Amino acid sequence: MPETPVRRVVITGLGAVSPVGIGVKDFADAVRAGRVGIGPVRSFDATPFPSRKAAEVAGFEPAAVLRNLDPDRWGRSALLAAAASRLAVEDSGIDARELRAGRSGSIMGTTSGESAVAQSLGGQWVTQGLKGLEPRLVGQMPAGQIAGAVNAELGLSGDAQTIPTACSASNYALGYAFDMVRSGEADLMLAGGADSVNRLTHAGFYALGAMAKDLPQPFDAGRSGIVTGEGGAALLLEPLDHALARGARIYAEVLGYAANCDAAHMVHPDATSIAACIRAAHRDAGVTPEQIDYICAHGTGTPTNDSTEIRAVRQVFGDRLPPISSIKSMLGHTMGAASGFGAIACCTALEQDFLPPTANLVETDPELGPGVDCVPGRGRDARVDIVQNHGFAFGGNNVITILGRYS
Amino acid sequence: MTTAAPVQSLPAQSAPVQPLAVVGVGVVSSAGHGLAPLAALLDGDTAPDPAVEGDPAYPPRPVRPVPGFRAADHLGRKGTKNLDRLAGLGLVACMEALEAAGPAPAGLDPERTGVVLATNTGSIAGYSDLLYETLTLEKPYLINPGKFSNSVMNCSAGQMAIRYGFKGLNATVAGGRSAGLYAFRHARLAMATGRADRLLVGGAEELSAPAAWAWHHAGTLREGAPVGEGSAVFVVSRAPEEHALVDLLACEVGYHGWTGTTGGAAERRAPSQVLADAVTRALERSGVRAEDVETVSLSAGHHIGLDRIEERAVHLALGRVPERVRVADVLGETYSAAGALQLAALLAHWRSRPSGTPRIGLVTSVGHDGNAGALVVRGRA
Repeated sequence: MPETPVRRVVITGLGAVSPVGIGVKDFADAVRAGRVGIGPVRSFDATPFPSRKAAEVAGFEPAAVLRNLDPDRWGRSALLAAAASRLAVEDSGIDARELRAGRSGSIMGTTSGESAVAQSLGGQWVTQGLKGLEPRLVGQMPAGQIAGAVNAELGLSGDAQTIPTACSASNYALGYAFDMVRSGEADLMLAGGADSVNRLTHAGFYALGAMAKDLPQPFDAGRSGIVTGEGGAALLLEPLDHALARGARIYAEVLGYAANCDAAHMVHPDATSIAACIRAAHRDAGVTPEQIDYICAHGTGTPTNDSTEIRAVRQVFGDRLPPISSIKSMLGHTMGAASGFGAIACCTALEQDFLPPTANLVETDPELGPGVDCVPGRGRDARVDIVQNHGFAFGGNNVITILGRYS
Repeated sequence: MTTAAPVQSLPAQSAPVQPLAVVGVGVVSSAGHGLAPLAALLDGDTAPDPAVEGDPAYPPRPVRPVPGFRAADHLGRKGTKNLDRLAGLGLVACMEALEAAGPAPAGLDPERTGVVLATNTGSIAGYSDLLYETLTLEKPYLINPGKFSNSVMNCSAGQMAIRYGFKGLNATVAGGRSAGLYAFRHARLAMATGRADRLLVGGAEELSAPAAWAWHHAGTLREGAPVGEGSAVFVVSRAPEEHALVDLLACEVGYHGWTGTTGGAAERRAPSQVLADAVTRALERSGVRAEDVETVSLSAGHHIGLDRIEERAVHLALGRVPERVRVADVLGETYSAAGALQLAALLAHWRSRPSGTPRIGLVTSVGHDGNAGALVVRGRA
């Protein structure tokens, strides 16, 4: 029972700084074509690792996008978030002064925060001891700098909240920002997330046995794990009335979301808990399973995640599963940005009438059971009206957002 | 493309807020466990002897560790093997908060019980150990996977959920020195929108040589200002509670870190003005008059420049500076735990000075990173 009357919330701007393209047009084109943004690691020396691939944003030039941040003063994740947010604002066509004048802010998710900065500091520690840390980099380290960078770049005076709930973080950010705009706590909000490819994350997922031998193959019978990725994802949330009054293009309406916690294990996902999260998201959005036209899966490509995810979906949808695909097959696992990119993919699917594909798929795993349509290879033309975006994380943090065509 | 039709900006509603009841508090600090030793320290008792003073791994700067803290002493050995100190401090504060709150009310749904915890870095010690290993091991992928999965920033919140079966929303929030206030704000919105009935809300910070060096290098602390650690966690109930310790009223934040040419000089506001506005808005939404504020629990005790900004902001908003509680003076810089420990200090201070009537307190925060915030607290009679 909300305390205040609620307003409808729509998404009117999208910003993607991703391994498959910068800007929403390039991102959407690449996703639709099933283009894979994975290559040899460039940002650190991967020679000691058995797997040396990552999904990096190779062509990211912060100064080409940002107008106000000095790239030397911010970490890579902050710059990715700020650039994605700048692109989302430009995409929305909203007047910058109007954005500054309102109670506007940003909610940004992340898994590892400024891990690329940490990697540089780690190198200084190894060679020069803790005495040799560079003060400039120390100041860039806190995760809160990520949302801070968005507010600093765009001149927002409202919330600058970073939500480091690991790999469901940008879905959490999207849900929380939705609540802020819906309840009148804020006017316009940027929501999304950012992470950077780095050596420690690469090592950690390898140590967990979760790293793909080569490319990630979500839902494939031969899937072996993830490829680490990076990027910045941002969505502009706006009250519907305001969007209509300024004649904005509306990608989608945020219908609702749910967040819950497995409370069972730090790493292993829990199908029953995920199913509970899906049901709660449906209740919150006021939709039924039959109305869901597409699921943008968490779909990491590890054997455990994908089978657990399909099992959870079956608990809710029975044997009539909506098409379910994983854009991580193309973007790698972009960690805290992942479900933000999922939300952007959902918005472009609603706008351009297609289902985002699962790339690298050779044979859908028969052990997932019958009726699993993971849209192999390339995007498929289809009209979708209501879509469901998954994000799961270490710590058992599940967040599911429901987006719909505005009508 | 969209048309650039002139549209009036939409002022967000500043609706009055419902009080949230604090029914239990757990505090682990260099003063010891609970509110009483913290109150004594604030009143001038001597701090326990800091064990790591003079440790050559640390910078030449005083530190305020939680003396003799070992998580397993409180939590048992089960599930604590790969836990870093940060999660240990948070879990012990959580446990003590739950004990203080007493049995959960009948019918409380675990799916509507959750966690909102402040951290800006996760465990710096745990993370930097792994980082060091991945940079120096011949086979860097042979790091301990259990330590890796506990190195994520949401580890503490996830561990609390696992230990106590909290299946509701599980949020970790960052916002620099204001991270704790962001946690209270986050909890407030989650409850106002009906997403949780009971939340464990707080923050934690751990002391380590890398963290102490980071503060030393950052150059924002005064010379001789100590670096500390600790955790405070509050059991917060959405429903009114007869036996609440205090009620949390509005929590408002603002950002003052614009950079480059953003907005130009005309639109920019000084940090003190941004904080003062947050205070004023929080009071308004709490239905509280400026003259009713009895105590302010300040954040910026030993940060160069910030302490004056913070007091100026309080003066701007209230027309005076009321009775001050400065927890950083006794616990040192506790960063991600600061907001929660400021609230704990306000409770400790009030508890040692019983009043027959309800009273109003303020917790404020401001950082060089652009964050500022204010929380209004109502003490029971």
